[in-house]
Amino acid sequence: MAEVTFLEALRQGLWEEMERDERVFILGEDVGAYGGAFKVTDGFSKRFGESRVIDTPISEAAIVGAAAGAAHMGLRPVAEMQFIDFISCAYDMLTNYVATARYRAGLSTPMVVRGPCGGYVRGGPFHSQNPEAAFLHTPGLKIVYPATARDAKGLIKASIRDEDPVLYLEHKWLYRRIKEQLPEGEEILTPIGQARIAREGKHLSIISYGATLWKSLEAAEQLEKADGVSVEVLDLRTLLPMDDAAIIATVKKTNKVLIVHEDTRTGGIAGEIAARINEQAFEWLDGPIMRVTAHDVPLPYAPTLEDFVLPQTDDIVKAARWLAAY
Amino acid sequence: MARVDVLMPQMGESIAEGTLSKWLKKVGDPVKRDEPLFEISTDKVDAEIPAPSAGVLAEIKVQEGQTVPVQTVVGVLETEAGAAAPAPAKPEPPKAAAPPPSAPTPEPAKAAPAPAPAVRPSGRPTDGDGGGVQTAEQRLRTKSTPLVRKIAAEHSVDISRIPGSGYAGRVTKQDILGYIEQAPTRAPTHDAPRTTHIGSVEHPAVEPWPGDRVAPWSKIRKITADHMVMSKRVSAHVASFFEVDFTRVAQLRARAKQSYAERGVNLTVLAFIVKACAENLRKHPIVNTAVSGDSTIFRADVNIGIAVALDWGLIVPVIKHADELSLMGIARAINDLGERARTKKLLPDDIQRGTFTITNPGGFGPYAGIPIINQPQVAILGVGAIEKRPKVVTAADGTDSIAIRTMGMLTMSYDHRVVDGADADKFLADVKKLLQEFPEGAM
Amino acid sequence: MALPATRPTGAVPAGAVLSSDQLLEIYYYLRLTRTLEERLVALYRQTKVIGGLFRSLGQEGESVASAYALERGRHKDVLSPLIRNLGSLLVMGAQPVEILRQYMAKADSPTRGRELNVHFNDLEKGYLGQISHLGDMIPVMAGIALSFQLRREPRVGLVYIGDGGTSTGTFHEGLNLAAVQRLPLVVIGEYNHWAYSTPPEKQFAVKDLAEKAKGYGVPAVTVDGNDVFAVYEATRIAVERARRGKGVHFIEVKTYRRKGHAEHDDQHYVPKADLERWAKEDDPIDRYVQRLLTADLVAEGGLKDIDARVRVEVDQATDACVDEPLPPAESALPGVYVDPPAADKLWFKVL
Repeated sequence: MAEVTFLEALRQGLWEEMERDERVFILGEDVGAYGGAFKVTDGFSKRFGESRVIDTPISEAAIVGAAAGAAHMGLRPVAEMQFIDFISCAYDMLTNYVATARYRAGLSTPMVVRGPCGGYVRGGPFHSQNPEAAFLHTPGLKIVYPATARDAKGLIKASIRDEDPVLYLEHKWLYRRIKEQLPEGEEILTPIGQARIAREGKHLSIISYGATLWKSLEAAEQLEKADGVSVEVLDLRTLLPMDDAAIIATVKKTNKVLIVHEDTRTGGIAGEIAARINEQAFEWLDGPIMRVTAHDVPLPYAPTLEDFVLPQTDDIVKAARWLAAY
Repeated sequence: MARVDVLMPQMGESIAEGTLSKWLKKVGDPVKRDEPLFEISTDKVDAEIPAPSAGVLAEIKVQEGQTVPVQTVVGVLETEAGAAAPAPAKPEPPKAAAPPPSAPTPEPAKAAPAPAPAVRPSGRPTDGDGGGVQTAEQRLRTKSTPLVRKIAAEHSVDISRIPGSGYAGRVTKQDILGYIEQAPTRAPTHDAPRTTHIGSVEHPAVEPWPGDRVAPWSKIRKITADHMVMSKRVSAHVASFFEVDFTRVAQLRARAKQSYAERGVNLTVLAFIVKACAENLRKHPIVNTAVSGDSTIFRADVNIGIAVALDWGLIVPVIKHADELSLMGIARAINDLGERARTKKLLPDDIQRGTFTITNPGGFGPYAGIPIINQPQVAILGVGAIEKRPKVVTAADGTDSIAIRTMGMLTMSYDHRVVDGADADKFLADVKKLLQEFPEGAM
Repeated sequence: MALPATRPTGAVPAGAVLSSDQLLEIYYYLRLTRTLEERLVALYRQTKVIGGLFRSLGQEGESVASAYALERGRHKDVLSPLIRNLGSLLVMGAQPVEILRQYMAKADSPTRGRELNVHFNDLEKGYLGQISHLGDMIPVMAGIALSFQLRREPRVGLVYIGDGGTSTGTFHEGLNLAAVQRLPLVVIGEYNHWAYSTPPEKQFAVKDLAEKAKGYGVPAVTVDGNDVFAVYEATRIAVERARRGKGVHFIEVKTYRRKGHAEHDDQHYVPKADLERWAKEDDPIDRYVQRLLTADLVAEGGLKDIDARVRVEVDQATDACVDEPLPPAESALPGVYVDPPAADKLWFKVL
């Protein structure tokens, strides 16, 4: 077993798929000679050649569009957005063209769009976004958001192998902060559409993903020690399609649920999750479905401001404590 | 002299740690502001790090070759206070920043408003709408949550009868499951008011000493304990003591015992007391009430509860419509309820809807006690030991003598929020009178 | 109509009539830009600057010279700088202490700690900071120029774009819109050879950015970006023509980015020899000083005085704000809209 960071695990996953399947190629800004702004594709150009690790102009719409065309022809492109914040430049291509291709035209578009997302790094409003809500209502797209190193690897491999277009969100704060032991010599694949119980519990469930998954786990530890409250934590891993069965199962088990995500409150996907729980497990609720999210403001840059706007472990502890006592 | 921390810098958003590759100064060396002080190496870049102020390197905390998280203090400079930064030494406490004179973004609204009120989960409308508008808290107490309603429906339980320990006094999953589990050994608390303006009951923790035995509470003990504390908080407890001459009652009982027994009824003094109370609760309705918020609820029925002490806890089965029963009916009811209490055969309905309670410890009881009101009632009558005592007796002609009489002290604790001293005393005086002059015709 | 491309010559180009005071003023801004950035680097390495730091080493000349050709003052010309146009901001009147506060996320920064580095504005003084999405400022500045046109004001807009930035969709749309509307907009295309690690040959298939601009029907020139006089002259001409209603003008300035994309980028992909050559032979400030002294336009002592003055100014600006507080946490909530005035504080913050 080797200890790898989240970023290394992602890199391994990409590397293994590039080796396994010659149709897989990477395109994006500074991915080749530089190895990627965060070094995710470090060494790839040397190993796989410039033709499979393409340094593009600063043209997100063209990157996504070109990936779609290549995917139609049977290649397996992995398009990088240098910061996922720039996916907005490709919104038209991704939602209007790529997501609808199979449905309206029978066009197969097996491509992955990936990029670093998330805050807690003092990156300001354009280097810290979590865009999943903007794409959740786009039928035809899949969205995955790993929290662990293992799933970073498992999900990139699964995304590349998936027949449908996948938006792969990798949290930049987790890149180097998460270190895990990963087994060597065995194929690590995380099924898309499947959540995972990160921590078992009895009294209350927290549903989360990404960086806030780790904060939720910290909060669960604290609540256990201080209050004797046993918290179950569910890591969604895939946001679209959502794992309703896992969500409902945990609600039925504990009867109280807190949804935690880094995205804003209004329009954040916690609303969607709450609606599904309401529809499918109303009779099992012993308290209102609550959520801990970012405040409804553009993400400010100063540490004091960012720390307040984004959900922190302490916020989750307080919220869960309130709900447990309901 | 001021001490300034020197930190491992963060060179890049995702960088979490750095290696201190080389110190460019030794401890004791002077250093100028911005002069290179040490070198670091990270995943992305190697760099020389300049000193944050002029001074002397006083301490090295991280050695060459060590890798530490960003923001770790790697060393300490000693500076002359004021030499490094002519600016004020202490940062001012955060103040509300004034908008810059130029108009463009991102200036907030002019009035620098306080943040909008928090979005509360229970953004409940307040009372005062009149016309039967229920508040969220009221709904919560009677209906609780979907899960609790589901459990209640499955077990045919009325949620409004269960004491709630949850938010706004609602019945939680634990409350209802506990309630169902305990049936029929019901503790005398289920009619208790569920308002939480008095707050939930918390029993402080105490350190056990070596050798002590810590016995966690059973459910019934917990419910009893919580109820006792809550009752004392809710009601303005006052007690009145009336000594009653039970000689006549004892005689009547002795004479009728046999014929009652032939009809399968054990006639006790308690039955007489219940009868006397039942009639007088009709006559003095203020003692047969409940307090709800700012109102007094005058109960339509007279349902007298009799406290029964069992091995596993206290329980109060209720004689319904006690004022409509004869002495025989009351005695029979006391027998039956007592028997079923001891054999755990009471039904939920047997322990609900009492309007007045009598607690009778019996032969081994005290001379007098001061019981705690059984919420949501407003009075409870304690019966002291009934025994022969000397008493001054005034003959018809006015002469006093000492006689041996069968006496017992009745103590009524009552809620002075709605029962005034005069009310209580009038009621008790009438009960005493009825007991002391119990009519044969009522046998 | 194409303007003659200017190339470095020994003489000061005709038409660039700058007084001695103006020549010294330009030098002051050049020196201030570089010194202020050096101070920012030190502060960055002391963890006082938060987030990233992007230097303009090697590009100070074109930033200062182009801005200097505008009519500056309240409600005059307006420019939009990119991350390596600190010089242009200073020329338009941004204060060093404001820049420092921005970088250090201080509560009293022009954006109250909400935005990074040079992403701030003062429309009265005439500058509008960028957002990170490159190219977006072109349509925005086109809109500002449109307002000048609609109101018949003799004002001009100026916007910078990097060689990489010309690959974006918004560059295309913005430039096209401005061109077809004949808006009073001057676009400075900074060919500095590097978009992060991407060289021009991976960015576009033309040799000069000016060729692209011509595709939009816009007069375009290519000038030596490290020649302060050349840049000033080209911009002055373009701005004057735009002011007279002749529409969009594109000036490509050839220069070189001498530091990495940001301070955390060690530029390992840049040939060291190239960096050394540009530093030694083509530093805009050194060349400017040389020209001034060779042509006897100023006294060397005057330049040294400015150096000293700038050091003091940067020190004072730093000392004034380095220990200032960060913004209070809840100041994050107001100002999303006019109405409502602030975002809700979320429920779990008040438990």
